Amino acid sequence: MSEAELATPFRDRAGRALQDGFLQQALTIATTKFLELRREAFGEFPEGDALRDRARAIKEATLQRLDHYLEQLVDNVERLGGHVHFATTPDDARRIILDIAKRTGTRMAVKSKSMATEEIHLNEALEAAGVTPVETDLGEYIIQLAHERPSHIIAPAIHKTKGQVADLFARELNRPNVPADPEVLTAIARAELREKFLQADMGITGANFAVADAGTVVLVTNEGNGRMVTTLPRVHVAVMGVEKVVPSMTDLAVFLAILAKSATGQKLSVYTTLVRGPRKPEELEGPDEFHLVLLDNGRIAQLGGTLREALYCLRCGACLNVCPVYRSIGGHAYGYTYPGPIGILLTAMLNGAASVKDLAHASSLCGACADACPVRIDIPRMLIELRKEVDEKKIAPWSERVVFTLVAWLLRHPALFRLAAPLARVFQRPFARGGRIERLPLFFGEWTRTRDLPAVAARTFSERWAALEREGR
Amino acid sequence: MSTRAEFLRRIRAELARTPALFPATPSLRPAHPREVADTIRRELSERWPATLQRFQQEFERVGGVLHRVATVQEVPSVVGRLARERDARDVLTWHPSALGFDPARGLADEKLTCRTMPEAVPDAAARRALRDTIATTPLGLTGVDVALAETGTMILRSGPGRPRSTSLLPATHVAVFDRTALVESLAQVAVLLEAWHADEASGAVINFITGPSRTADIELTLTRGVHGPKDVHAIFVERPLRE
Ligand code: SF4
Repeated sequence: MSEAELATPFRDRAGRALQDGFLQQALTIATTKFLELRREAFGEFPEGDALRDRARAIKEATLQRLDHYLEQLVDNVERLGGHVHFATTPDDARRIILDIAKRTGTRMAVKSKSMATEEIHLNEALEAAGVTPVETDLGEYIIQLAHERPSHIIAPAIHKTKGQVADLFARELNRPNVPADPEVLTAIARAELREKFLQADMGITGANFAVADAGTVVLVTNEGNGRMVTTLPRVHVAVMGVEKVVPSMTDLAVFLAILAKSATGQKLSVYTTLVRGPRKPEELEGPDEFHLVLLDNGRIAQLGGTLREALYCLRCGACLNVCPVYRSIGGHAYGYTYPGPIGILLTAMLNGAASVKDLAHASSLCGACADACPVRIDIPRMLIELRKEVDEKKIAPWSERVVFTLVAWLLRHPALFRLAAPLARVFQRPFARGGRIERLPLFFGEWTRTRDLPAVAARTFSERWAALEREGR
Repeated sequence: MSTRAEFLRRIRAELARTPALFPATPSLRPAHPREVADTIRRELSERWPATLQRFQQEFERVGGVLHRVATVQEVPSVVGRLARERDARDVLTWHPSALGFDPARGLADEKLTCRTMPEAVPDAAARRALRDTIATTPLGLTGVDVALAETGTMILRSGPGRPRSTSLLPATHVAVFDRTALVESLAQVAVLLEAWHADEASGAVINFITGPSRTADIELTLTRGVHGPKDVHAIFVERPLRE
């Protein structure tokens, strides 16, 4: 999303999404389908629950000794002939990658889907440096041609119709008569991208996992683009958040057993690729250089912060699919790289709590995300803490703070509260409809714009209770 | 730009002020993975028919096609039929040392040109030429290191004579294996992975392949062959290849 779009308040972005009929329908179909497939996959897999607990424990154990496992990873990657770089900020990461591009004479870079490179806005930096970045995941490719941003972690282009994709290909690829047929559209993309894979100098990937004691980076894809970009170009650069390290191959197998099931309901994704450094001298193919960029970008500070648990995240997308808010507004409305309930936490981690002062409330705290999460991340707990933080830092609007303080005080004084009820009944008369208040005047209007308030009852519970007690006697 | 030392120092500082969220340990790894792997293989060799059945069921579920032949001599005729159905005249193959048998004669009898991958690495120019060959040949014939029944997955290690793109660039991938490749579960695969990585000589890449390349990125319509092969076939040979 562009800076200009981010300048529009979250409410307006969400409002726009709610009015987009196609987006609404696509979101419902996609998220419902993912949910069904996920339920089926775990339904056939009785050991799933135990493995989720195991996976959660592995993540926590790894964080407890993150320094140790990262050191091990670095040593082993270097032993296998790779280079490791350390990036504290997105700017560091971009500079590291641009340096490699410059030194190796890179003119074109093919990318397989990676949230980490989205997070550091790598494509813009590459373009500015004269390197053409080409997204190769079909969904990402469509988004790149359209100059848009992904709307779902797993299905980045679910907001586009096949007709829109056909028009886009006709226009951007100069192809006449493109039919709105997914099969044909996929074949066109295959042909276009095959050329790019063969021409590109550099392959850029993220990493789903990195195995510390094997110095191995693990990529999971369904299309095969992850294999292409790590096989054909001369240089392979993998960008990875520090939290993606896992201790051993035994641990890796636990995550593989649950990742695809949570994401798409597959038992395994089509391709799981374990990369152990650059081409070996006795092998025909593979890159001459392998670089691993370890990215901090706010993660390390959360090892000791309220968002630590969010560092367990596998980016499977399950919490998006079950989230009633995400299902209604889609990924774009969140406005940052990572959408959905976990996206709010990751955005706070990357950009600070102030960046989510609206988003922190874009959740009903229903708990569906925590139930769906393969590593059982307690997202609602962290959202509440984030809301508290936002309020303590006085990031919430002053009117909201004044009213909430008043209400809190009233609740602590039962005598006053009893007095307040009849008063409120008089004042709410012009605003209440069918037992609900949908619009309030003045600064209260902001709050009720996106919320309904139950009207104060004709008789409050304590009034009825008192009456009942009298009758009972 | 940060250095390794600075990075680790900050991590240690954060960890020092954070108690664990709960007590946790990573998975217990086998102390001698090679011995455990051998034991697993031995046990599995006694119940391979059931494992093959499960593999077939899962492999077909993800869109693979399994062929079963008695001996390795029958492999070329299956490949020949698949090639004719696709109007293919050329077949890429792993080097015989990697495949466990030499299909060249048999493929020639099927009127197919066999492009065998070299075992030794040629010079840069020859490597470029080979890459063009791999990229334009319609069918790739490979071996399989592990056939994982639980998920219908074929696991292939790269190495001399077994370039990784033979199972990636051709539109059709045909893989040959016997009972010794079959394992039941991901947990067993974990032991094999532990054993392999202890082995310094192993190749730069290990690929798990679970059916044909696929996408659902346009209106969630499942489409095959987006970047990798559209067709994936497995040929199971009843008599072990390396007898
Ligand atoms: S928080 Fe959990 S459910 Fe959401 S993307 Fe991360 S791992 Fe998946």
